[in-house]
This record gives sequence, C-alpha cells and structure tokens, in this order.
Amino acid sequence: MQEDYINIILADDDEDDRLFFTDAFEEIKITTRVKTFNDGVYLMDYLNTDGIQLPNVLFLDLNMPRKSGLECLREIKQNEKFNDIAIAIYSTSASEEDIEKTFIKGANIYIKKPSDFKTLKKVLSEVVTINWQYHTNSMNKENFLLRF
Amino acid sequence: MLYLSAFVILVVGALTYRSITEVTKSSEMVTHTYKVNVELEQILSNLKDAETGQRGFIITRDSLFLDSYISGRSKINNSFAELKVLTRNDTLLNTNLIALNSLINKRLIAFQTSYSSLPKDDIDDPTFISNFRTGKSLMDSISTKIKSIVTLQNNILQTRKNEYESDLMATPLLLFSLLLCSLILMYVAYNNIYKNIKKLKATNEALEIFKESTNQSEIVSKHGSWTWNVKNNVFTFSDNLYRLIGEQPQSFKPTIENFLNYVHPEDAEQLSEQVEQMKEDVELPYIYYRVVHKNGNIKHLKAYGKSLINEDNDTVLLGTTADITDEIMSFRALEERNMELERNNKELSSFNYVASHDLQEPLRKIQTFLSRLEDEEAENLSSKGTKYIDRIQNAATRMRLLIDDLLQFSRSNKADKVIEESNINLLLEAAKQDLAEVISAENAEITSDTFPTIKVIPFQIQQLFINLLGNAIKYKAEGRTPKIVITHKVVDAEDEENIVKPKKPFYHKITFTDNGIGFEEQYAEQIFILFSRLHNKDEYSGTGIGLSICKKIVENHSGYITASGQPGKGAVFTVYLPID
Repeated sequence: MQEDYINIILADDDEDDRLFFTDAFEEIKITTRVKTFNDGVYLMDYLNTDGIQLPNVLFLDLNMPRKSGLECLREIKQNEKFNDIAIAIYSTSASEEDIEKTFIKGANIYIKKPSDFKTLKKVLSEVVTINWQYHTNSMNKENFLLRF
Repeated sequence: MLYLSAFVILVVGALTYRSITEVTKSSEMVTHTYKVNVELEQILSNLKDAETGQRGFIITRDSLFLDSYISGRSKINNSFAELKVLTRNDTLLNTNLIALNSLINKRLIAFQTSYSSLPKDDIDDPTFISNFRTGKSLMDSISTKIKSIVTLQNNILQTRKNEYESDLMATPLLLFSLLLCSLILMYVAYNNIYKNIKKLKATNEALEIFKESTNQSEIVSKHGSWTWNVKNNVFTFSDNLYRLIGEQPQSFKPTIENFLNYVHPEDAEQLSEQVEQMKEDVELPYIYYRVVHKNGNIKHLKAYGKSLINEDNDTVLLGTTADITDEIMSFRALEERNMELERNNKELSSFNYVASHDLQEPLRKIQTFLSRLEDEEAENLSSKGTKYIDRIQNAATRMRLLIDDLLQFSRSNKADKVIEESNINLLLEAAKQDLAEVISAENAEITSDTFPTIKVIPFQIQQLFINLLGNAIKYKAEGRTPKIVITHKVVDAEDEENIVKPKKPFYHKITFTDNGIGFEEQYAEQIFILFSRLHNKDEYSGTGIGLSICKKIVENHSGYITASGQPGKGAVFTVYLPID
C-alpha cells in the first residue's frame, strides 16, 4: 500500500510558496503525499520522531528563520538513517555560492523556484519521478542545478 | 715631485759645496805659494843684509855692522822654520829647500871663515880673498837656487792661478745654474702648492655647500643625524635632531641620557634596550619610538644606525633619525578611509545582493499568480482584464530582467574570485550552449579561432562571452543573418593604442566582430556605463547593464575592453587580457 505513493516533504517559511507547492502536486497526476513545515526546526523535530515514515524526496528552502536549509542539510547528512532521502534544494536564488555549498554538503539536486505555475508543475513532477539511484551515481556539478 | 726636488737640490748643493771647497782650496794654495815666495825673498834679502853687514864690518871694523849680520842670521833661521812649516807637504820644494839650506849654511860658514880669517886691515891677504871669492860664488849659487825655486813656485803658482781662475769661472756658472734650478723648483713647488690650495679651497667650498644643503635637507625632510663613539661614549647630534625633539640646536650636551628625557615614557625602556643592542650589532633594524616636546606635542620618530670602525679602531655608530609623524598620521587616515571604503563597499555589495535576491521573491510570486490567473481564470476575465494582465506580465518580466542583471553585476563586483589556468575554448562553448536557443532562433553563425589556455576567473569570462555574443545577436541588422567572428592573437602592449598604461608587456587580444546594426562612434565609451542605453526599450529589450558587467569583468582581470562601430554595418568589441 505504502509503495503506491511518493512521500514528499517541503520545508519553507513562505506561505505562498507552500501553497504553490501543494497546489502543484494536487494538479500533477502522480500519487503523492505532501507534508510541509514552516522552518528547519519543525522539520528536524519531525524527522527525528520515532516511527514516522521518512520522505522519499525532501525539498529544502535555504533561507528560513531559526534553522536554515543548509543547517538541516548538514544534520540530515550526518545521520545514517536519512541516507535514502533524496534532497532537493528549493530556493529563490541560484547563486554560485549557494550551489557550491549545497553540492559539497551532499544535496542531490538544486531547483531555482520557477516564476510560472506551469513550469513549477513540470519541474516538480520531473523531480519526484527521478530515479535517484541512477541520478546520484551520475551526479556532477554541471547537472546539479536543474535546468528548465 | 717632492723626492725629485729634494734630489735635485741635494745634487746641486753637493756640486756647489765641492766647487766652493775647490775654490777655497786653490785660493789657499795660491796664498801658500805667495807666502813661500815671500819667505824665500826674505831669506835672500836677509842673506844680503848679513853680507852687507859683514862687508861693513870688514871695511870699518865697527862691530855695529855685525848686528845686522847677526839679526840677518836669526831672521834666516826664522824664515826657514816658517818655510819648513809651509812646505811640509811638498816633497819637491822640501828637497830644494834642503839643498838651499845647505848652501846657506855653507855661505854662513864662509862668512864665519872669512870673518875670522881676516887679518888686521889686510884685505889683500890671499886667504881672505880666496875665502871672499868662495863666499861670493856661494852667494851666487844661493841666489840662483832661490831664483830657481821661485821660478818653480811661480810656475806652480801660475798653474794654480789658472786652476783657481777656471774654478772661479766655473763657480758662478754653477751658482747660476743652482739658482736657476732652485727657481724652477720653487716655481714648480709654488705652482703645485697653488693648485693644491685651489683644489683644497674648492673642496672646502663644496664641503661647505654640502654641509649647508645637508642641513637644509634635514630640515625639509625632517631628518636628524647623530654619531656615537661607543668606546668613549661620545655623541654628536646634528642641529636638526635637536629640532626634531623640539629644542634649539646644540642646546644641551649630546648624551643618551639627555636624549632619553624627551622620549615618550612608554617607549623609553624599549629604546634604551635597543640602544644597548646597537653596541653589539653591526647593522640594525629600524627603531620606532615617540618623543614628547616640551609643549606636549608627540612626534613619531624612526631611527636607523650603522656601525663603522674609525681610524682609531673604535666602533662608531652612524645614525639617521626621521620624523615620521606626518606619514603615520596620513597612513592612519588612509587606513581609516580604506576601512570605511571597504565597509561601504561591503555594505553596497551586500545591499545589492540582498536587494536583488529579496526582490526576486515577491516578483516571482506576482508572476506565478499571474500565470495562474491566465491559466485558470482566463474565461472569467474580460478582454480588457486579459490585456491588463498581459501588461502586468510584461512589466514583471522586465523587472525580472533588471533584477537578474543587477544581481549579476553585483556578483561580478567580487574581486576575490580565484584566477586559474582555463580552457577558453570550453568557456566559449559553454557560453554558446547557454545561448543555444537564441542562436538557433536567429540562425546566427559564430566562427572563432582556437584559444590557448589563459589565466582567468572562468565563470566571469563565460559570462563575458555570453553578454558579448548575446548583444551581437540582439542588435542584429534587419534582414541579415547574424555573423560573429571571434579572433585571438597575442600582441605587444606598446603596439596597441587602446591599452593605456599597460601593466604587462603582452596581452591576449580577443575581438568580436559582428554584422549587426553597429553604433555611432561617439557612443563607443558611453555604452559601457551602467544603465546607459542607445535604444528605446520598445525597440530592443535591455537593461543597460550587460556591457557594464563586461567592463567590470575585464577590469577584474586587469584587462581592457573597447568598442567601435559603424552604424548599419556592425560593431567590434575588443578585449585585452594580460599575459603574466
């Protein structure tokens, strides 16, 4: 039963962005279960709760109050039990610096938030259907930033 | 010169001495000869006196005549004694004198005989007559002898006279040449001394000028100098050193203790230690300390010393002390200004970044909502509403463009990017990849030379290529397929008039030539200014930032970028990158 849908979590402090995100997944014809958190602290509390279902893909905004996306990324990568989570950075900017840092820290893909709802849907459906096993093996700095 | 003159004078002196001695000697000899002759004449005359006396006695029998005879005899003896002394060194004369002496003795004996044998008043007595005759012949031979001696002496005298005269002749000549020699020597010596004095004077004058200029330069450059004879602990301070510590020149005895009175209390101990250290070390590092003037002014001084060994084998430290207060003050001011500038720059940069970055978020949302309106609510909008939404969409797109470019501009600001050996061909390829969509849409033709590897900030050069190629395509001429030719060559900085004040002798020259709309030459510099645009934004979309970014990137590489254009024909952008 659990294998039928993809578990997705988004941590983003922006209400509109969370709305776009959940709306997009509602319209995408992929069975997903989407959970959103308002910041890094809520996210990490949840992930560290015993017995929960870990997400398949975690979307991380970088700029968040209390605990930033980068801090979450570091904590997650330090804990072996999160090894199977694919981490997508989901940020307004795509500065060289941010891309470099998150790539080094072990994120799987970098998505610059699109400014068009259609594009958003397209990007999100692409990302959640990636064969992460394959993607991770062939990952390099050039294809780290998702181009759309 | 000195040795030569001494030698000449000595030689001349010796010659003169010898000559004078010769003259004296010949004059002495002449005198001597005369004396001998006089003595001889004396003897003859005395003998004659004796003879006359004897004759008188014989005739008169008056014993009075015998007196002259007796005195004549003693005089003869005296003369002989005198002659003996005079002739003791003359063997020939001696022999003659001995012969004369014996003749005279014989004559005297003959006197005696004839006198004693004289019978009373009988002068006809044959014995007497024979005695008398013997006396006469003896007298004759004496006279002859004396004459011969005198002749001999005269001959000698003549020779001596000649010698004397020639000596006398030679002496003035010698004296004259001596005088001449002395005069020449004197002249030469005088000349030399005169020259030396002139030289000395000139040197002295130069020294005086140098001293004065040193004094002045010390004042102007705020320097002071000092010496320190370490062995006897004697110091000298230059005038200006006193001024540096706010005192009148030479107003106190130059000692280290007196000097330390002016040193800032916080620096005094360290300076004393360093002064101690100076005694040991040959070359010393710069010493920095402060002094406090009597009026409370604090001055920063910097001292440097070097040790020398003087003629007495003493260690002498030679030092210079400079007032660097102004330098320190201006350095501090500069540092402050620099820090302020850096702070401002940082603030500006982060403001730029944050503004661009944070501006994107609301804009993105506006655009996303707009796209949703268009997609989902299109049928609920009037045609007017749709048109307005379209306008909003356009404005938002333009705003996004501006923000993106501004962001890029602020990113190209960062000078701390790493410069690395890069494959320029790959960077160009990546730029073309980035522009693939427009290139294919416009059918643009891009040809390029093969580049060597160049030391650059890779992503910035890629951005430069993107901007230049993008520009060339954007400003294509109506009805012409865009053609862009990229060339590369290495050039000598001196041959390129576009390179002003080159930092390196050689540069990579990369040109981008297009066949687009070009531009008026007068705008060649203006187009690189931020936000400057040559065209209305309705004709060509653009923010006026792209070429400013290019300029910034090239400047980050210490390079140059220039543009030239011909309206309707095309434009050429030239980039120079330095070769290390």
